[in-house]
Amino acid sequence: MIDIMANIVWMALIVIGGVLISWSVHFVPVGGAPAAMAQATGIGTGTVQLAAGAGLTGLVSAGYVMNVVDNLPLILASGAVGAMIMIAVTMIVGTWVYVYGVGCVPSSAKVKVDPLTHDRQDLYVSQGTEGHGLPTVCFVSGVIGGALGGIGGALIYYALLKVGMAVTEVNANLVGLVGIFAVGIFFVNAVIPSYNIGGTIEGFHDPKWKKWPKAVISSFVATIFCAIVAVIAISQMGGL
Amino acid sequence: MSAGGAGGEAKGGYPPNTIIGIGAAGGLLGIYLAHFLSGINPAFSFLGGIGAICAIVWGADAVRRVASYGLGTGVPSIGMIALGMGIVAALFGLSVGGIAGPIVSFIAAAVIGAIIGVLANKVIGMGIPIMERAMVEIAGAGTLAIIGLSTVIAGSFEYGAVIENVVSTGFIAMIFIIGGMGILHPFNANLGPDEKQDRTLSVAVEKASLAMIISGIASSINEGMGAAIVTVLVGLAIWYMAFNKYYGFVKRDAHAVVGTGLLPSAEELE
Amino acid sequence: MEPLISMGVLALIGVAATIAGASEDLESDVGSQSNPNSQVQLAPQMMFPHRIYNKAVSGEPPSNALMSAVGATGAVVLMDEFSLSPLFALVFGALIAAMVHGTFAVTSTMGRAASQRRFKQPVYLDMIRSHTPVIMGYAFITTFCILVVSFLMDSVLSHPFPLPLLAFIWGITVGAIGSSTGDVHYGAEREFQQFEFGSGLNASNSGNIVRFAESGLRNGYDNSWFCAKFGGPVTGIAFGMTVFLGNWITTVFDPARGVAEGWLSVVAGVIIVLILIFWNRKIEVAARNAFGPYKQDKTEEEAAA
Repeated sequence: MIDIMANIVWMALIVIGGVLISWSVHFVPVGGAPAAMAQATGIGTGTVQLAAGAGLTGLVSAGYVMNVVDNLPLILASGAVGAMIMIAVTMIVGTWVYVYGVGCVPSSAKVKVDPLTHDRQDLYVSQGTEGHGLPTVCFVSGVIGGALGGIGGALIYYALLKVGMAVTEVNANLVGLVGIFAVGIFFVNAVIPSYNIGGTIEGFHDPKWKKWPKAVISSFVATIFCAIVAVIAISQMGGL
Repeated sequence: MSAGGAGGEAKGGYPPNTIIGIGAAGGLLGIYLAHFLSGINPAFSFLGGIGAICAIVWGADAVRRVASYGLGTGVPSIGMIALGMGIVAALFGLSVGGIAGPIVSFIAAAVIGAIIGVLANKVIGMGIPIMERAMVEIAGAGTLAIIGLSTVIAGSFEYGAVIENVVSTGFIAMIFIIGGMGILHPFNANLGPDEKQDRTLSVAVEKASLAMIISGIASSINEGMGAAIVTVLVGLAIWYMAFNKYYGFVKRDAHAVVGTGLLPSAEELE
Repeated sequence: MEPLISMGVLALIGVAATIAGASEDLESDVGSQSNPNSQVQLAPQMMFPHRIYNKAVSGEPPSNALMSAVGATGAVVLMDEFSLSPLFALVFGALIAAMVHGTFAVTSTMGRAASQRRFKQPVYLDMIRSHTPVIMGYAFITTFCILVVSFLMDSVLSHPFPLPLLAFIWGITVGAIGSSTGDVHYGAEREFQQFEFGSGLNASNSGNIVRFAESGLRNGYDNSWFCAKFGGPVTGIAFGMTVFLGNWITTVFDPARGVAEGWLSVVAGVIIVLILIFWNRKIEVAARNAFGPYKQDKTEEEAAA
């Protein structure tokens, strides 16, 4: 129990990180299988995997920066930027494919006008589909989601590494353990929200987005338990 | 290996409790035998792989039962959450449990799984009746698979040995994904209206034996070539038997297994 | 580190990532994986049995993460236990990964077809025999390139994560990118070329995939042949850009030289993202003007009447 009390601040950061990841998934415009056939708006893949792809890319960036400087805001910003670049590049190339390869106009079926550009959307949705591609609002939402996920992943990594640094020096053992814990906690918090939104969402303008408190509460509770066991496991490194 | 003989039940022959028994008891037994016998001769570490096979078969069966309800997103998601919980619980148990490590991990995984299962049904409202139970089972199976494969590589489930040989080298990432795929792939690969339990579980054995082979290769750094070769050969033998079993089930279940041919004609499809 | 050397390594990483992305997409096209495969799966149920591989291993991210992590494990063993040169170890690791991936491909296509007995979908052994080596070949290229990227990041750019963990993460990322970009070209265009271009897939046509080729029956080769012209290369560009830009900002503005440099790298990254948002908007507007609205505006009509 001493481990937990001494690390209460880091545990709070881990939980915040988990909650941010959970929230971030609600921003990522994912259309699931129908989007891969230009049958629904968003990126044509699964929520969990895209969020994980972006967030873990952020984790790679944050891990690199944390290796050379110890500055929390900078580490979080690096995680966010790594994830934002991954998701923005994915979406711009997705737009190339939708526009040049498939020949359809980016349009949303969930809203009549794009809340950011005020362009009409319903007229550009082709027959028998639920929209296709990535209109500006989805793109911006996705970038926000990537940033939040990157911050969340970096926060978990940073906090877990700090827990370890209190008991041992930074070596391959510690980095490996903290890295895989960050990945594990990331996956738990990426799957919970994807069950909440049923696998597809267009972004913050989607009516489903309002369901986020349910996923965030679930992730909050789940991450507390993950944080407790992770902190204890890392604290035991001191005895090795 | 799982013999054929599926009963006439629509849901397939083996009742869930039998599989749970095989998975939990077989998994723990394999891990403990590997741990103690490796002290005598490192070649016995392959028993950890046998334990992992039992656990993965159990996990695949639990995925089969819960994913039949439809998760709203792909089957793989449940495998990834299982291993996400499993990895944290496994290393926690080994760090505090000492000789009882795998049991502590198993209990920790069950607790976290139960919490996530309850949250999924009560807060998120997925409404899958067996969600709580399935999450407990999948998390437990994932944890045992991770510890079993780690024991193959480290030759012991002592925390220090696992950290030194499995975590710091990064092999834990390989265990994470190959254990997860062992649990999620069998049902995903056999998805369809005519899915059969014995066929799905034979894929689980086949994929778990692949996990054992790869872990065996990884174990050569720590255990030496002799022990690694034993694990790889045992794994290959199980893989060969399981694959043939699976191919037999495919020939039994498929509409037709043909060398080559045209598409079924319109009359045939009537 | 010498700036020139780090720039050279960065270029090599970018190239390897680009090849990995392209081969990842073609691997998923020749075998039909991930989201577009839902239509291949659906087709027999809609009375359209086919001769297309049904590689439902899992989503692309886990399957690519598996290949990469297995390959990295093999490579680490060969480098540490047998002290082989990295180049040989990476090739051999990728070979092991390709073989493992081959078994996953075979069990999934056989299993999915066997589970469609009531729709009379046969298991075509010649199709499995001819396509599996191609799938393994692409898997080999993808894994090797991911291992090159991870190895260079580890040994030259001194990233702290161990090789298998880094390879695992890049595997997840390449799969996520491949299934988000190139797969759309396969799913929305190649599978449904018999329908009007530029409309997306009308839900009523679901499952009615193209099953006949220029001569004979359509197979995975035909699909990868088509996707190699656009879907594959752009996937390569996407993954190459992700890896290259992500590393470029920290190589040019190295946080190791001080916190201020670190913040410059963040600013550079944000500027890149803003440019991409703006670019997306330009394409969106161009598409709206070029393809025009698909429906009449009812409110305008009423106002006119």
